[in-house]
Order: sequence, then C-alpha cells, then structure tokens
Amino acid sequence: MTNYLLPLILGAAFGFSLNKAGLTRYAKIVNVFRFTDLAVLKFMMTALVVAMTGLYVLRGLGWITFPNVPATYVAGNLIGGLIFGVGMALAGFCPGTCAAGSGEGKLDYLIPGMLGFLTGAVLFGLTYQQVFPLVSKIANYGNVVLPDLWNLNPYLVVLLFGLIAVLLFYLIDRAGMFRKKA
Amino acid sequence: MESMKTYIRKELWSPYVAGAVLGIVGVLAVWLSDSLLGASGAFENLAGILGKAAAPEVFDTMYFNFIMPAEITWGVALLFGIILGGFFGALTSRTFKFRTMDDDQWKKVFGPQLWKRWILLFVGAIILEYGAGIAGGCTSGLAISGGMLLAPAAFLFIGAMFMSGILTTLVIYRRSY
Repeated sequence: MTNYLLPLILGAAFGFSLNKAGLTRYAKIVNVFRFTDLAVLKFMMTALVVAMTGLYVLRGLGWITFPNVPATYVAGNLIGGLIFGVGMALAGFCPGTCAAGSGEGKLDYLIPGMLGFLTGAVLFGLTYQQVFPLVSKIANYGNVVLPDLWNLNPYLVVLLFGLIAVLLFYLIDRAGMFRKKA
Repeated sequence: MESMKTYIRKELWSPYVAGAVLGIVGVLAVWLSDSLLGASGAFENLAGILGKAAAPEVFDTMYFNFIMPAEITWGVALLFGIILGGFFGALTSRTFKFRTMDDDQWKKVFGPQLWKRWILLFVGAIILEYGAGIAGGCTSGLAISGGMLLAPAAFLFIGAMFMSGILTTLVIYRRSY
C-alpha cells in the first residue's frame, strides 16, 4: 500500500494542476486548435521548461538518472499523434484531463469518457501484435534524447528551448498574435 | 499567506502557474519514484484486469501479461490520484457538482442532446486511447514526460497531434472556425 501512496499524491497534484488550468473543459482544449485560447499551449510549454530544467540540472549534479525514455519510432509517433489529435479535437479531452474532470463531478467524463478509454485500451491490447511491430519498425531510434542524437550540449538545448518558449509566450501575450474572437 | 489562500480558491489559475506545478510534479516523479507521469498506459493495465476477469483466455496475451501487465501498477495509482486531484481542485473553488452537459460551446456546436455527447465522447476516447497506444503515450506520458527529457518522440507526437487537431476542428466548425 505504501508503494501506492507516492503516485497517489503525485497524481493528485497533477490532477489539481489540470483542474486549475481549466484543461478539464471542452472549450479550453478545442480552442487551442482554433487559436482563440492558447492556455493549453502555455500550460504545456511551462511544464516542459520547468521540468526539463530541473531534470537536466539534477542529472548534471548526479542526483538522478533518467528513467526509461519514451522510444522514438518516427512513423508510429507521427501516426499515433495524428489519430490522437482527431480524438482530442472531437471529445475535447485527453486521458489525463478526462480523469481530472471525472473527479470534478463531470459525469460525461466519468461514464462515456472513462468507458471509452477502457474500450480503446482493450482494442489496442488485442490488436497489438498485428499493428505495433509494423509501425514501430520504421525509423526506430530507440530510447534516445535529442542532445545525444545530434551530439549537442544538453544545457544549451534546454536553454534554447526555454528561450523559444519565452519568445512564444511574449508573442502570444503582448503582441496578441492570436485571434480574439471567442 | 492570505493572498495565497485566495489564489488557491480561485477557479482558474494562470496557465503559467499551473504549468509550473505540473513541471515540478514531473521532476518529483523521476526523483522520488524513478517513474514518468502518464495516463493512457494505466487504462491498458485496467483493461487487462477487467479483461482477464471476464475472458481469461482472450486476454492471456504477451501484451496483457508482460508489456502492459494486468495489475495495479504505479501508473494506475497515479491515475486514481489524478481523479482525486480534480476532486480537490473543484473543492477548493467550490465547483464540485455531479453534472452533465456543462459546456456552452459544446451545445452550440453539437446541440443539447445528451446521448449525442455521450456517443461522441465514447468514440473520441476510443480514438484517443488507440492513438496513444500506437504513438507510445498520450499528452502526459509522451508529450510532457518525453518532452521534458528531450525525447524526439514527444515533439513528433505534439506536431502531429496539433496538425490533425486543427484539421479536425476545421471540419467540425467549418464556417464558424
């Protein structure tokens, strides 16, 4: 039971942040695809900049090692992303925000949403052998990270990513580089 | 201190603040648990548990035995935590309420019928989970957790997701896009 305490607490903080960012709402998710509300983008980019800075610094200090890095297999990552985007634009949630929204009392998320994810999981699991080896074979680079793949200084990449994010935030917030129409 | 309390009770935070919280959680998950945040994988574990209970032979596969084992994993506990987190968040802003059809924009686009919303959300969730399976993770397990490690997979996924998300929204909204 104690092994489950930590992920429960971490998950609760995760769900709390999704709730406070408003990502448990259909409109918030879909409007990022319409460029009328870029909160999702700001939320994701901030999380990425904070986390990658923390992780690369902690690894540099020798305090942590990276866990299993998500594998890069170009065709599968892209095809999966294309399928995922269709579902996200249609439903206005993703697996994490559906779970957090269920906790807020949204029965639309708790019942058809969660049942849909379970059904999709059954379908994927039962077709895994036929589908996955095929798509994961093409351009498979394994569990690689960009700085290693391109032989770049990791801190430079993190810094560059941070600068790009800040520039993006500046353009979004100050220059009003998105449509105001709701 | 008082202003912090007021902020916690607010229904909506700045996405920068909420995003920073998620970033810290992502670091802590690696630091304390040597694990990555995720959500779609937990549904695979749960599907295995339910499937093995209902039809043990059908679910006696390499996938549900080894790749995504039918057990209460770290990720499953995390998923329950996410639900709890949504609950706590809603409690602090006093917005917790069992409800359906709470989005005006949805009603404008798809109409007020509840059955239609439930069918579309059910289908959408199936598409999402299948896509996440192919890609190797979802918005949290791949985009955030992979991106924070600078895995190319994450950026390929994010690019593809935005591309098809924008196209799908264009089709759904047509003139009112």
